[in-house]
Amino acid sequence: MNIELKGSEQINTSPETLWASVIDPVVLQRAIPGCTSMTETGEGQYLMSLELKVAAVGGSFEGAVSLSEMNPPHSCVITVSGSGSLGSGGGDAAVSITEGEDGKAQISYQAQGEVSGLVAGVGQRILMGVAKHLARQFFAALKKEFAAS
Amino acid sequence: MSEPKYKFLSTPRRPVEDRRFVAGRGKYVADLERPDMLHVAPLASHHAAAVINSIDGSKALAMPGVIDVITGDELAGAVQPLMNGLNTPNVRRFPLAVGRVRYAGEWVCAVVAESRAIAEDALENIIVDATPQPFVLDAEQALLDSSTPVHPEHGSNLLLDRKFVWGPVDEDFAAAAHSLSFSVTWGRNSTVPIETFGVIAEWNGWDQMLDIWASIQMPKYADQIARSLGLPGNAIRVHYDVDVGGSYGVKRGIKHSVLVGYVARKLGRAVRLIEDRLENMRAGDAHGPERKFDVAVAFDDDGTVRAMKMRALDNAGAYAGRAPFQLGKPISAIVGPYKINSVAYHALSVTTNKTVQEAVRGFGQAPTNYAIETAMDRVAEYLGMDRLALRQHNLIRADQFPYLIPSGSHYDSGDYHAVIDKVLAAADYPAMLAERDRLRADGMMAGIGIAACLEPSGGNSSFEPLLNESNKTSTWMESCQVNVDALGCVTARIHTTSSGQGHETLVSTILGEVLQINPELIRITRPNSLESLPGNSPVGSRMAIMLGGAAARAGEKLKAKIMAIAAHHLAVDVDQLRYESGDVIAPDGRSLVWDDMIELAHRQYHSLPDGMDPGLASFDIMQVPTGEALPADGKVQMYPCYAFEFHLVLVSFDPIIGRPDIHSYFIGHDCGTVINPAIVSGMTYGGIAHGIGAALFEEFAYDANGQLLTQSFLDYLMPSSHEVPAINIVKHCTPSPHTVFGQKGSGESGYLGSPAAVSGAINDAVAGLGIHFEKLPIRMSAISDAIAAKSS
Repeated sequence: MNIELKGSEQINTSPETLWASVIDPVVLQRAIPGCTSMTETGEGQYLMSLELKVAAVGGSFEGAVSLSEMNPPHSCVITVSGSGSLGSGGGDAAVSITEGEDGKAQISYQAQGEVSGLVAGVGQRILMGVAKHLARQFFAALKKEFAAS
Repeated sequence: MSEPKYKFLSTPRRPVEDRRFVAGRGKYVADLERPDMLHVAPLASHHAAAVINSIDGSKALAMPGVIDVITGDELAGAVQPLMNGLNTPNVRRFPLAVGRVRYAGEWVCAVVAESRAIAEDALENIIVDATPQPFVLDAEQALLDSSTPVHPEHGSNLLLDRKFVWGPVDEDFAAAAHSLSFSVTWGRNSTVPIETFGVIAEWNGWDQMLDIWASIQMPKYADQIARSLGLPGNAIRVHYDVDVGGSYGVKRGIKHSVLVGYVARKLGRAVRLIEDRLENMRAGDAHGPERKFDVAVAFDDDGTVRAMKMRALDNAGAYAGRAPFQLGKPISAIVGPYKINSVAYHALSVTTNKTVQEAVRGFGQAPTNYAIETAMDRVAEYLGMDRLALRQHNLIRADQFPYLIPSGSHYDSGDYHAVIDKVLAAADYPAMLAERDRLRADGMMAGIGIAACLEPSGGNSSFEPLLNESNKTSTWMESCQVNVDALGCVTARIHTTSSGQGHETLVSTILGEVLQINPELIRITRPNSLESLPGNSPVGSRMAIMLGGAAARAGEKLKAKIMAIAAHHLAVDVDQLRYESGDVIAPDGRSLVWDDMIELAHRQYHSLPDGMDPGLASFDIMQVPTGEALPADGKVQMYPCYAFEFHLVLVSFDPIIGRPDIHSYFIGHDCGTVINPAIVSGMTYGGIAHGIGAALFEEFAYDANGQLLTQSFLDYLMPSSHEVPAINIVKHCTPSPHTVFGQKGSGESGYLGSPAAVSGAINDAVAGLGIHFEKLPIRMSAISDAIAAKSS
């Protein structure tokens, strides 16, 4: 089944710092929900392992992430593909970072993906909710990276 | 008062099996433990179609408790493809995908481990590299040249394409005053037994024997396993003393059994595979017909339906399975209970990237009945005739039996008009009509559904040679053995598993009737396949006719021997003796009681007639009645017996919500002589519930990417006690001339007509809006959407 997600979040840092963070595997591993490892395999290319458990959908996934159309610090396209025992998925997200009036970064994303396997069947009724929940978790973690300390 | 015709038959007797089932003491595959048993979990494909580039099981194999990872390539090198009844050698199927996957859920590989839990955990560590391929889901699209064949080696998606013309179809269409055409579609559903499929295989190298316990309902199961594994037939021992927790066609289990049989031999251990519900729904043998009908009928002003053209396109899923033959059985009752003079039938079966279709209750008859009954409703609507009167006008009359239908089968017996009259009286039809009108006056949508149809029974599988001329099968025998031991106790052996049809009750009742001894005292056993005579398992609504017939004939042989012993001992001509409750009485009052006969047969050889063997045992291998010949000219006598059912149902729903409420349900049922009334009623109740599911709820629905959306009971909806109303069964008995007691089949009763009846009721409710629902199931969302579209 197909999934579409879009949204916009304000992050308490400058666009340049945010850009550096979202291409940093160490930060990404901390922010991506359930991410147990993130390895850079080339410029803008990563391998990722996930352990996810949300409601009825849970399991381990192995995935590849690649960044393309990079226009630092303004925009890029993130392409993800992965599979695990519960299903396969893939998709891409167009991400843009703008500077707000207060100098803080505003990150907007528009993503579309397709999932197959068990999650597509059993999980279909909760999948949209799960996807939104995971996105919220990601941005909450990202914001925490830049929380006043 | 006249003497009752039967002592035990047709009397209200508690089924023998009920004792253990009600007490929770049935013995199912999951209840069996074998020493050192291993467990299997299959890995399901995520994709509807993909080429498998590699399978890396090394991480899984490194886990504690994991014994093996079996791939399709390994299996394909060691076993033969599973049986395919058609001449399509390039549509090859193995238990695991070989080279490519062809539907989402297909087994890619299998983990063997010390426990099922370990095996399931290990599945997560298998890395499959697969490249998605183009796929096709819709049957009409699968026929197009532009569609990717599911089996590229086969060259197209066409599995079966047969045209039959029975009688002067074109002439009848030309001569008729009117004709009309329509299309209807039957959605994919299942019988959804409580127990999923399970099998244990155990290899003993010292005996060179593969023992199998399985929850099967599958003709020639042992033969198919032996062929695929390349073992001699007598190296497979299938244990029939296993209770099967529901089936109605879906407990085939060949791929599961070949897989565990192979693993058991490879590892020298007992190996068990029990499907979980998801495996059962996605990749078990659960899916039944998915069929589109294009129907044209020719008829006169008075409602006489002269001729029918039917194109039936069946979506078989990814492999050949039993699906194509489910287009064959309905040929046996292609005109339903009606005097339709000529029929053209075009049967098409195509592969698609969906789960493989297998047998479901009625073997394709219920969808065809739905199409025929829709035709009757459409003709009545066209002519402005009453739907009931139109049917009564076209029904075969009682004085026309045996009635030869255009496709070559003789209907044995029936009195359709009498059954309908009984139902109309029992239901108070005028009151039902008044109630419908009252509901309508209250602002509800309300309709009455009517369906008349047949249950071909006594299965002879003649559809196989009819659809595949290289198949020369003309028998589908069933057997029974009877032994009376030295203490005088009777034991009968039957040679199949039971999935709830009550075979022990059937055989003990019939032997009790023949021998006039209490059925409670007769023991029924189910030996293993090597100790069995030939049989074909309970398919095609056949066991009352075939197993009951074999039991009766074996009982008669036993009785004949008893009479011969008595005649010799009493020095009286055998014709002068009277058999009564196990005793034999001479005209002069002298008699031999049962124990005397046992003494003579078991101990006093010197007192037996010259040349008679000692002991008291018999067996019978029975041929299907009327099953004498192979098909000729596209025609065949397919089934010996035809049971009749007539459904009358009142449904209403709120026009905005669209949720159907079944107010009253009547069924008239004539399956000839009833052996056990409780079993027949149980079949009918369950069949109607099953049919309500097919009509309103149950469907294996796929999304546009070929993902099965209804794979758990959250989404695959079944009727509960809230949706199934009280059912009133109106009984009638027209004995069959072809069976020992006049019995016909009843294993599919209710299901064969209830979808048509419920669909008819909903269509009657919306007739005023000019709406026709042309696909089952008719979901409440479809109802409310269609009404909303008309109102806006």
